[in-house]
Order: sequence, then structure tokens, then C-alpha cells
Amino acid sequence: MRVEGSEDVCEAAPLSQQEEWRDVTPIPQDDGKHPICPIAYTDDYREMMDYLRAVMAKEEISERALELTGRVIQANPGHYTVWVYRKRLVEELNADIAGELNWVSSISAMYPKNYQLWHHREALIVRLLDPKQATEGQSETELLRHPVIRRELQFLDNAINEDSKNFHAWSYRQWLVSTYNIWEQELIFVNTMINEDVRNNSAWNQRYFVILQGRNPAQVELDSELVSGEIVYTVENIKFAPNNESPWSYIIGLLLRHAPGKLYTDLLPKIQTLANNKDYSLAMTTTQFYWSALVDIYEQQARELPEQGKALLEKAQSICHNLAIEHDPMHGKYWEFRSTSLSV
Amino acid sequence: MSHLFSYDFRYDDNVYETETSLKQEEVEESIGRIYYKLVDPHTIVNGGEIDDSGHRLLRIKHEQFVRDALHGLSSGFAVLDASQPWLAFWSLNSLDIMGCDIDPQLRQRAVNTMKQFQAENGGFCGGSRQLPHMAGSFASIMTLVLVGDDETYKVIDREAMYRWMMTMKQPDGSFSMHTGGEVDVRGIYCAMVIASLLNIMTPELIASSADFISRCQTCEGGIGPYPGVEAHGGYTMCGLAALEILGKTDVLNLGRLARWMSSRQLAFEGGFSGRTNKLVDGCYSHWVGGAFALLQKALKRSQSDGYLYDRAALQRYVLACCQDGRMGGLRDKPGKSSDLYHTLYCLSGLSLSQHYMGVNPKELISDNTSVYSVPARMMQWDAMPMGTEILGLRSNMVKPVHPVYGVSLVPLAKCIKYFYSLPPLVVSLV
Repeated sequence: MRVEGSEDVCEAAPLSQQEEWRDVTPIPQDDGKHPICPIAYTDDYREMMDYLRAVMAKEEISERALELTGRVIQANPGHYTVWVYRKRLVEELNADIAGELNWVSSISAMYPKNYQLWHHREALIVRLLDPKQATEGQSETELLRHPVIRRELQFLDNAINEDSKNFHAWSYRQWLVSTYNIWEQELIFVNTMINEDVRNNSAWNQRYFVILQGRNPAQVELDSELVSGEIVYTVENIKFAPNNESPWSYIIGLLLRHAPGKLYTDLLPKIQTLANNKDYSLAMTTTQFYWSALVDIYEQQARELPEQGKALLEKAQSICHNLAIEHDPMHGKYWEFRSTSLSV
Repeated sequence: MSHLFSYDFRYDDNVYETETSLKQEEVEESIGRIYYKLVDPHTIVNGGEIDDSGHRLLRIKHEQFVRDALHGLSSGFAVLDASQPWLAFWSLNSLDIMGCDIDPQLRQRAVNTMKQFQAENGGFCGGSRQLPHMAGSFASIMTLVLVGDDETYKVIDREAMYRWMMTMKQPDGSFSMHTGGEVDVRGIYCAMVIASLLNIMTPELIASSADFISRCQTCEGGIGPYPGVEAHGGYTMCGLAALEILGKTDVLNLGRLARWMSSRQLAFEGGFSGRTNKLVDGCYSHWVGGAFALLQKALKRSQSDGYLYDRAALQRYVLACCQDGRMGGLRDKPGKSSDLYHTLYCLSGLSLSQHYMGVNPKELISDNTSVYSVPARMMQWDAMPMGTEILGLRSNMVKPVHPVYGVSLVPLAKCIKYFYSLPPLVVSLV
């Protein structure tokens, strides 16, 4: 069996032959007797780890230890123990943070799906630019000119360009944006990403994050105009390709949480207009997402307008029925359930 | 309905191409070729129906694939050097789910290997002499559960485990994965699984955890790693299973959750994706498909109501698209190579779609949030009579697995019985 990306990167002489390491007695890996799933490490990896165990055991704080952690991480970036040790070394040796950042960036390019390097990166950025000081004295425009922030945004642009749905990169962006209060540029970024691929759900999720400015949804009351603006924006994007779950999921989720009344006062007329427009009617009326939205909308309307409640729920039920047999038979069991769960 | 083969079920891009739709189209293309070959020619006049009678689980191939791994892995696996307990868990659990023999010698080797991972101050590490890790602890303990008996459970220093987990606990209810490590819903799931098995669930350990998970539910309905981040299949299973242990699935908006989970099953492929507008992947057969058993109980739906997804379509995806017939093992999707991770989670997803896992309504325990009711509540889960649905050959049937723990029921019951017959753990928290 093989795993990608594990080529050895070392060309130097073995540590055991290096003068610098003569004082260290390597500690071999102890897997016990006849272990299961033993890995046939290369000699180079095994030796690095043996020496690393030795310096870690005596908690050595040295340049050579720092260098060794770098080599190990390059071979295996998932080695969290080594990252923790490296973080301590960087701090206690007062290592050059910018240099460290460069190094982490080079690893990121090789292993975009790794957890540890993003975490390491956060700690470095905080040391380079104290969030409290940065956000107290400066406006967003000023902060965006700061080399640290500029560099981070550039780095993230590259990572997201490489993989537009990179889960770690988007999460890290959330951390950066909320730590340094750079919300306005983020909305612009989100718009750009949605323009590039209107089906990029990570971008839609980020949109919600930006609208809430990272606050707990349960404690946020959204401005009515802002919500209406989101409805307009979303419907405009639905027009590109109505059979796209992301904008539907976004706007229904947002409205159910923050402005349920607007589901039928604001969203409903807009999507109905679209469904009646000859340019969009076919795409609208053949996508399950339109019908599914109507179910949520009518249910909400029934809650708020009790005199029409019965008729609205019946409409919703009949849509569920059609979804189950016609528009979305794969999820038939779900639509049956949705129909019975309709309530005022 | 699911037996009908039709290109109409393919993704409709409304003649507007983007990166997402192009990738989706490519995958549908390769899966369409596989399904098309299964169409029964006699049914073409009616539009074409898929003949599912011939699907065969390649047990011998998969078993060999896993046994080779247990024997030894190539140097390329150094990238998983800090996930060694996982290699063991993926392998042994795959064997167990397929009903393969795990002989006493292999058991002993597994126990010896896990021993090496236990840290002096509690918890298990990703490899010997590494730092203790929540996920490593989960995988080590589940491995011991799989191969264990009363003698081997003693390997686990549960008092130290408890103390260590308390040092990982954050004020907001979440857990750090390791000292100085990342914080997310996985940590809560690992902690709840471990604590519920080892009989070390205390009010202090579980404080605010349900609340943290509820804050991870996004407006889409699924669960993300921590508040704000996109909903994802893996975290959804972790969050929902942790809440089932806590007896608090009702902190979620279950209607939105059901909608999101159901939407993850792709109409043409039959398998699941992990996020909205992402591609099908065999591992989500477990992370999302497997979570429907938990959802069913949370929604108080009965067995006769049936699961909220298409069980046959998922089994078809696993059996027709995820098996690597040449190398053995199971995979993400056609064109990818098999690996231990996908082998386990495809098999586990297959199991959870073959068996209806539920709780006999007559035995339902109402005091569901007390830590004292945990072992009884967890052992209520069982494969329900008349709940089996096997696609293809009858011999494709694999062992039922527990939807919370992801392992078969007998070893789990043995472990719970052992730890709950021990005197309560007395630890000073301060």
C-alpha cells in the first residue's frame, strides 16, 4: 500500500554521522512485541524520529532541534506532537517569526488538508500582530494595508484558488476576519467567490458568517433592510442556475432563523415572479429546491396567518407529494416525512 | 423507485457551467457507465431498470487487503505515523464487521500495540511516546473494545484518562484534541464515547457540551466543527452521536437537520456527499448514511415509518462503485484507490443501511439526560427484527453496528458490563 506525498526530502548525511549530533543517544521507537500495522519506515525517517525522541525527552531547546522538527514535519505534517514541540522551540528560541511563516506556507502548499499547520499559523500571526492593539487603533482600511494582514489574505487567496472549498482555509479565514475585524473586505471576497462559482457552498456559508459578524445567531437581531438585501442578492444568484442548492439553503436557513415573516412577504413574491417569467419558468419549476422552498414558506405563512392556515398547509402537503413522486423521488421518504411534520 | 435507471436523475446544471457542476458531471459520467451496465435489457422498453440481484461483497479480497495491512505497511504510511491507533481500528473493525476471524494471537498483538500508545499521565497517543490525543484515545479504546476481555480492559487507566480529559475540557463545553491542539466537535464525540464506555461520565465532564454542539448547527441544518464553519458530514455524525449519549438530541433543530442530511444523498449516485454541492464519497455512507439511525430516534419515528433515506440506493453505490476488485478494500469513488479508512467507513455505512438499528419503543428509557441512564440507554440499541434490507446476494449481509459507537454489539456490551460493574471512580477534580 502506498500513500501520496511522502517522498523523502533529506539529502544530508545520516545524523549518526554528524558531529553536531554526537552527544545525543537516539531513542528507538518502542512498538512492543509483534505490533499490528507496523510501518516500514525509511531509514531516514526512523533515524530522524529516534533523535527527535531523544531531544524531546530532555526537553532540549536548540537550533538543531528546531531544524529537526522541520525535517520531520516535512515528511509527516500530521505529527501533532512535533508541532507542539516546534511551537515551543520557536517561542523560546525567539526564532524569526516571518521566516517561520514562510516555512509553514511552503508546507501548506504540499499538504493543504492538514490540521496542524493552520493552527500553528494562527499562533504566529498573533505574535506578529497583537489583535487587541491592531483593532483598537486602526480602521479596517488601515489594517488591510498592514503587511501581515495583506500577506495572510494573499496566502488564503492562493489556497482557496487552489481548492475553492478547502475546509481548513475557509475556517482559518473566519478566524482571521473575526480576530482583526476585517469584515468589509470579506463581504467583497465572498461576492467574488460566489461570482466565480455560484455553487460554492463554502462561500455561501462564509456569507452568513459575515452577515452575522461571527456573533451567536441566537443573540443577533438582523436589520430588516439588510435581510431584504440578502433576499435580492440571493434571488439574483438563483437566476444563474435555479437548480443550485446553495443559495436556496442559505436564504431559507437565514430567514427561518432571523426573519421568518419575510419568507412569504418578501421571498415568495420574488421567486414566484421568477417562476412565471418565461426565461426562468422551466428551470424554476423543474428544480426540487423551488418546490422545497415553497413548502417552508407556506408552513411559515400558515403559522402567521391562522385564518388561511388550513389551505396553506394543504398546498404544502400537495407539493411534498409531488416532490416525492415527481421532482425528487430519491428523497421520497424525506418528503413523506416533511409532509407529516408540517405544523402551525 | 430507486431501481429505475435514468439519466434524468443526473444533476441539472441549467446549462450554466461552473467548477462545481463540471466536477459533478465528471463523476456522474463514470458512475453512469457502471450503473448502465447493470440495466436489465428486458426492461429497456420501460425506461430501464437496474438489476441489483448480482451485487456481491468481495469479502475475501477485502479481508486480504486488511490482513496485509495488519501484517505491515509500506514506508509511505509514515504520514500516518501519528495516527497509528486509527490504522489498528480501521483494520480490526473492518474485519469484525465482515465477520472475519480475529484469532487470539491477533487479539494479543492488538492489545500489546495499544498498550504502547497509552500515556503515563492518561490518554492514548497517536504512536508510542507521542502526546495523548482525543482521537488517538478514541481509536485505541475502540480497538481494545473490539478485541478485549476483562483482562485486557485493565490496560486502560481510566482514572488517568478521566483526569487527562478534564484537562482538555474548555469552558464552552468543547474539548481540545490535544495539549495546544485544535478544538472542535470531534473532541466532544471522542470524550463522550470514552466516558460512557469507561463509566467516567461526570456532570463536570459533560457540562455545556450539548450547548456547544447546538451552536455548531449551521442555518443549513447540518453540524460544523465549531460555530460559524460550514456543515459537514463527519462533524454531523460526531455531534448527533454525542448528543445521543447525552440524551439531548432535542437541542438541535431536527427538521432542518433532517432536510440537510437527506439532501446529502445524491439522486443519481445513491451515495452521500459530505457538504452541500460537493461530490459523493463512500466514507459518508457512514458519517451521513449511518447517522439516519440516530436521526430516526431523535425524531421519535417508528420502525414502520422507515429511514429517511434510500437504503437500497446507498448499498448499490457501495457495492457497485466503492469496491476495488483488483486490490481489495473499498474506496471514495470509482477511479480512486482503496484505503483502510474508506474500507471501514464504506463497510460500516453498508451495515447501517442493511440493518434497521433502533430501540424497542416498549423499552425506551425516559430519564434520558441522567448520566446514570447512559449504559442502559446505549445498550437499548439493537438490530430490529424484520428491519433487514439486503441488496444483491444474501451473503452480502454484514454484522450490525451500533450507530453511536460504530462497532458491533457483542464486544460493546461486554465492555460496558465490565466498566459498569466497577466501583464509581473517585477522583479529586481540583
